[in-house]
Amino acid sequence: MTPALLVATALAGLAASLAGAVTPDRLRIRVSTSLTIGACGCALIAGINILHSGHPAVVHTTALMPLSGFSLALDRFGALFVVISAVVGICALVFRLGYIGHGLGSRTASCILPLFVTTLLLVPAASNVTTFLFLWELMAITSLLLVLTDHAHRGEVQVAAQWYAVMTQLGAAALILGLVLLATRTGSQSFAVIALRSAHLPTWVRSTAFVLALVGFGSKAGAVPLHVWLPRAHPEAPGPVSALMSAAMVNLGVYGIVRVGMGLLGGGPTWWWLLVMFLGALSAMFGSLHSATSRDLKRLLAYSTTDNVGLMLLGVGASGLFASTGHRALAVVALVAALLHVVFHAVFKGSLFLSASSVQQATGSTDLDGLGGLLQRMPVSGPIFLVGGLAIAALPPFCGFVSEWLLLQSMLHGLPSSDVAIAVAMPIGVGVLALTGGLTAFTFAKAIGIGLLGLPRTDGAERATEVRRPMWVGAGLLALLCLVFGVAPFLVIPAVVDAAGVVTRFHSAGALTHGWQIGLPGVPGMLAPGLLALGLLVCTGLVALARGLVRRSPVRLTEAWGCGRELQTARMEYTATSFGEPLTRVFEDVLNPSRDIDASHIAESRYYTEAAVIHTSLEDAFERHLYRPADRGFQRWGALARRVPNGSVHRYLAFGLVALIIVLVVLA
Amino acid sequence: MRARPAEVADPGDVSPGVQSAAQRLRGSLQLRHVDAGSCNGCEMEIASIFSPVYDAERFGIRLEASPRHADGLLVTGPVTRNMAEPLRKTFEAVPRPRIVVAVGDCARDCGVFRGAYGVEGAVSDVVPVDLEVPGCPPDPAAIVRALRGLAGT
Repeated sequence: MTPALLVATALAGLAASLAGAVTPDRLRIRVSTSLTIGACGCALIAGINILHSGHPAVVHTTALMPLSGFSLALDRFGALFVVISAVVGICALVFRLGYIGHGLGSRTASCILPLFVTTLLLVPAASNVTTFLFLWELMAITSLLLVLTDHAHRGEVQVAAQWYAVMTQLGAAALILGLVLLATRTGSQSFAVIALRSAHLPTWVRSTAFVLALVGFGSKAGAVPLHVWLPRAHPEAPGPVSALMSAAMVNLGVYGIVRVGMGLLGGGPTWWWLLVMFLGALSAMFGSLHSATSRDLKRLLAYSTTDNVGLMLLGVGASGLFASTGHRALAVVALVAALLHVVFHAVFKGSLFLSASSVQQATGSTDLDGLGGLLQRMPVSGPIFLVGGLAIAALPPFCGFVSEWLLLQSMLHGLPSSDVAIAVAMPIGVGVLALTGGLTAFTFAKAIGIGLLGLPRTDGAERATEVRRPMWVGAGLLALLCLVFGVAPFLVIPAVVDAAGVVTRFHSAGALTHGWQIGLPGVPGMLAPGLLALGLLVCTGLVALARGLVRRSPVRLTEAWGCGRELQTARMEYTATSFGEPLTRVFEDVLNPSRDIDASHIAESRYYTEAAVIHTSLEDAFERHLYRPADRGFQRWGALARRVPNGSVHRYLAFGLVALIIVLVVLA
Repeated sequence: MRARPAEVADPGDVSPGVQSAAQRLRGSLQLRHVDAGSCNGCEMEIASIFSPVYDAERFGIRLEASPRHADGLLVTGPVTRNMAEPLRKTFEAVPRPRIVVAVGDCARDCGVFRGAYGVEGAVSDVVPVDLEVPGCPPDPAAIVRALRGLAGT
């Protein structure tokens, strides 16, 4: 039955795409979105079925692609990602029913969005190299086109799309090289056969393939230094698309790294995983630092995605490191923690991106310095963002806490190891996790405090009202899941343990969940999130009760103290820029802050200022020191190369002659 | 108090609130100073009560930066039109129960500025006053004595 569901997913997706292209304007969004939700539903049922039963679903047809055939085989590991994509997809599509603007209602976008969602659902099921690369590229191109939907109105969209196109194609090139290398050396396209034969490959082939895959998947996951497209593409993409990209698509980068590194290559030497951990640590720190200092809400969320992908890679790297040094129990715990973080990140980042898009639709802006007072004006979307923010800051009783706790535990328990690599890497990992956790809490204190609380800073924020029902239903479903998974993580942990078992090829010493508790098999440590939530609830209740019992003088409401100023405006409030300023100063070397003051004088005297405008900006260090010089180099090469074909017929004839001579010499 | 002047100013009208304030404050009096339009003579004397000569801090009397942290206001000068609203706002910002001390003749009845075009009135015309310290400017010792009476030290 499950193979039929996979086929149904693909067909429903194609039908939705077709419907988006041909149905009349009035019905277009409703028909194509419903069909796409249907595709997600089929994939969700198939995924849950596989996670439950463990029987892989196999679909193979030679009719679609010659030579290799189109082949899907969904195992438990892939099914986990299919389920994530499906849940995020359903919520984002429900959200889309109420979403206007960004050109997402156009015929092109309605045709492409279903295709994008379908590829998100099918990529984890691809079971041979050609199918995988086909679906992967389809995903990259459809997402690129969706980023571009609003290109006619805003110039930044084109720049963002260029960055995204270059980065994703660079990654795809590395991926094609890596996977084709594996396929040719093992003599088979099929992932199953590659996994069987890869152990006999020479070390350099295995390592080259792994590094190429790491580059390819890393660029999709948004790992530093291949992250530059994220903070550009996410703010420009339409709301549901940025949610899908951040909550579902980047996961597939992590999926690929685990699938190739652990599944196809069956683990590897210590340095592979140290490299993964290093990239993870770098992404986590860099991402969290930039998100803490961003003032654009969606840019902040995009950098925070880099941060969370870093944590996932930290877990994956730790797991590989433990496996390569024989600490099997810890390897399972670390991988489960990483995969759990993938699941939870999808849930909370999905709700954050969707509610940020609600804010954008309601106020017309995502600039935090222009928002404020939204918790009152948007009584549903505001709390949804609040829940997402608490979950991402890893506060109980929300889900982010559980996965970060597990990750921390797995690394802490690696500390007493006698292995040098582990003894060095784990304390650094723990430190990175601690720093990132603090910065993330700072970031969301800023986003919630500046964006949702206080007085509205612009007319747009002043006039904001609650968005239409489908939008908050879509975002609210994910926010609800944040709470459900945070209180009852045993709903997902067994499935994640099974999924991890598929790629590590050994099962954990015991179950991670015991009823309401999470245990660590083989090592001491226990967490009962349900009890924790109950304790919090009881404590909050007691505090409320105590406040009610103690007689207090009536509360007097007066204006905020502003030094007795007569005109107090919202412009005097704390802003996101000023909130992040101390951090900007501390990390000046990484963040490259620049500040420019434009002052104009009144006509009568140069000593009196008429107006002063201050421009502050932060520049991505990798963009400045890596990509800009590379870009300049390419431009110079291009200029040089353009001089070669100068239009002269004589020169072209000479080229032909020289080429002929070379060919003759080589052949002779 | 080392320097004891020959003439000690009268503490002025004492509202019933001041008596209870002394019991309530128990030796700690935090005040926010508002210059409502003073010639700065009173400011000189207020500054000098925190000098080593008078050292009002040893009686638990301190000036606060924010009315939110204060027990009351220390107002000097006639209330000018521009300062009337800020004075009201500062008064509103002080948590209850609160005390207002009007220091100097101008604060009591506009002094030499009475009837001037920029003057709104005495402090008591704008906010309720609990304690007045007369003098132009009042002697530092008189200010200290009045405040000690309030702080109960």
